[in-house]
Amino acid sequence: MTLQTVEIREALRQAIDEEMTRDSRVFILGEEVAEYNGAYKVTKGLLDKWGPARVIDTPISENGFTGIAIGAAQTGLRPIVEFMSWNFSFVAFDQLVSNAAKAHYMSGGRFHVPIVFRGPNGAAAQVSCQHSHNVEAIYGNLPGFIIISPSNAYDAKGLLKSALRANNPVIFLENELIYGDKMEIPLTEYLVPIGQAKIIREGKHLTLISYSRMLKFCIEAANDLAKQGISIEVIDLRTIKPLDIATVAASVRKTHRAVLVEEGHIFAGISSELGFQIQEHCFDDLDAPLARVCSRETPLPYSKVLEKETLPSKERILATIKKLYQSQ
Amino acid sequence: MPKPTPYHFFPFETEKVIAALGAEGLLNVLKQMLSIRNLELRGESAYQQGQVGGFYHSYMGQEAIQTGCIAACGTKHWFTTTYRCHALAYLLGVSPNEIMAEFYGRTTGNAMGRGGSMHLYADRLLGGLAIVGGHIPIATGAAFSIQYKKEKDLVSFCFLGEGASVQGAFHESLNIASLWNLPCIYVIENNQWGMGTAANRAVCVQPIAEHFAKAYDIKSYTFDGMDFFSCYAGFKEACREVLDTKRPVLIEAISERFRGHSISDPGLYRSKEELQKNMQKDPILHLKQVMIDHKFLTEEEFKGLDKETREIAINAMKFAEESPWPDPIILEEGVFAPPERLS
Repeated sequence: MTLQTVEIREALRQAIDEEMTRDSRVFILGEEVAEYNGAYKVTKGLLDKWGPARVIDTPISENGFTGIAIGAAQTGLRPIVEFMSWNFSFVAFDQLVSNAAKAHYMSGGRFHVPIVFRGPNGAAAQVSCQHSHNVEAIYGNLPGFIIISPSNAYDAKGLLKSALRANNPVIFLENELIYGDKMEIPLTEYLVPIGQAKIIREGKHLTLISYSRMLKFCIEAANDLAKQGISIEVIDLRTIKPLDIATVAASVRKTHRAVLVEEGHIFAGISSELGFQIQEHCFDDLDAPLARVCSRETPLPYSKVLEKETLPSKERILATIKKLYQSQ
Repeated sequence: MPKPTPYHFFPFETEKVIAALGAEGLLNVLKQMLSIRNLELRGESAYQQGQVGGFYHSYMGQEAIQTGCIAACGTKHWFTTTYRCHALAYLLGVSPNEIMAEFYGRTTGNAMGRGGSMHLYADRLLGGLAIVGGHIPIATGAAFSIQYKKEKDLVSFCFLGEGASVQGAFHESLNIASLWNLPCIYVIENNQWGMGTAANRAVCVQPIAEHFAKAYDIKSYTFDGMDFFSCYAGFKEACREVLDTKRPVLIEAISERFRGHSISDPGLYRSKEELQKNMQKDPILHLKQVMIDHKFLTEEEFKGLDKETREIAINAMKFAEESPWPDPIILEEGVFAPPERLS
């Protein structure tokens, strides 16, 4: 197989470009996606190739352009909405919640909403309280959304292509700090199916479960622990909703221990849900209580010292695992 | 006493509308308006009998506006409206049975009992959407689709209340529609009250459309929403304007709702005398009088039409009551659309 080395942003761009080639109903709109070539350059070159009818700069009107895209999806198009940051989706919250997530159900199946909302999610580098939210738990609470959060270029491309064919509203969560991460991916077309987690490192003693950027810390922690003879299995959820509990449960039944790592806040987060489902499926298999490493209960502070302490890290993961073993 | 609002009504000639529609066309319009009226009356009585739950927002008093729109422009366009959606669904071909069954929450309902009275749909009706102002970008999106697909003979109609005209979604939509030349017709149905708040306590300018349209560099029209002929003539012109120019327009139809905001609103913010006075402007009685004057209709025939449409509404209640409840076994179905079948 011929391979190419690409950054995540390029993998995403290829997915958009290929799907625009495949389907004339696909178009992208958002702030700075066209003439500026994207705030994070995901849409670089797309305006030149496809023109302003399909690569569309919007005013700073998230509520307006998000609703317009949903209306366009209901009337036969397949839009991609780029949020410059998922934090700005809150300005369009009503459109996402009241219209995108509910139109198919509420209309008795008359109208469907094939649409992908995408952009960077979570903390970047010291962008402070209002620009660092993780939205997956917020949108995950609402029936009607598919939620995807890839951690690498291969999955980013394959999952975005699947999302664009999903026929339903997809919350596609990227991460600013890993847009530049490189990986070898096939040159030929491929898809990654929605709803399948992946074991990215096999282990015997404990399962670490996470997604997106936090997996870096999971792998680092697993490497450290390997030196001490503790073998860690690491699962990349890839799709948050629908949750692939089967892959998770099979792993926990093997390792008998699980630690959940989530960049978002601890209260009512994805880990709360994941942990609950694990105890539903694996109660008798667990040799230790479940533990989780999440953001602390504070808006993300600006100061880099405080920011680091708020977010999950290799150190916090190691400390959590150590505590788990000490309490046995 | 507040000063009367200086409206610049769109000029029209009743006789020209009569000539365009003829006796038969007008009779059909009258029947539609009576059907809406009787459907609302029976929906209300079903509510009072405990058959209908949730909210119930009657269109009574405003019938001339949407009936005029459909008579003038047809049903092929895209339409989006608010929770006060029963009339538009009916005008776009949804049967009284299907509407009533949705009120009753039955499986034969318009949205299989999932939406209720605020969420009615048709092939070209995107809802029945019930967050004030939240539906305006959706209608604008339908106009975007028309432009994207180069459908030259279509527009998107967006009906909203005057209360929604101060929502951000409205202003963001108008800005983008003007900026992108989207074929959207925004219709403010000014029924004077946003729930219990008078329009002049909620909107800083009057007339609303004439003021706001200027800010977005689009044309505005003001109709007498109690007069079918004003609405018909105005919609005809507005639709032609949008199809010719591919630019959005903003309409304000001045009307009165004969009921509270919803069925649970006793309307204590206006006096009985005031309401009685407003009800003398009943659009159905106005149309009836014009038709009688032109010898298109007799009092007896009117009574017959009223009875006929009342019976249809009563039969719809019977249909709804006899329809099966949704089976709880289907709960959690239909949240997601099935995959697209590629031809």
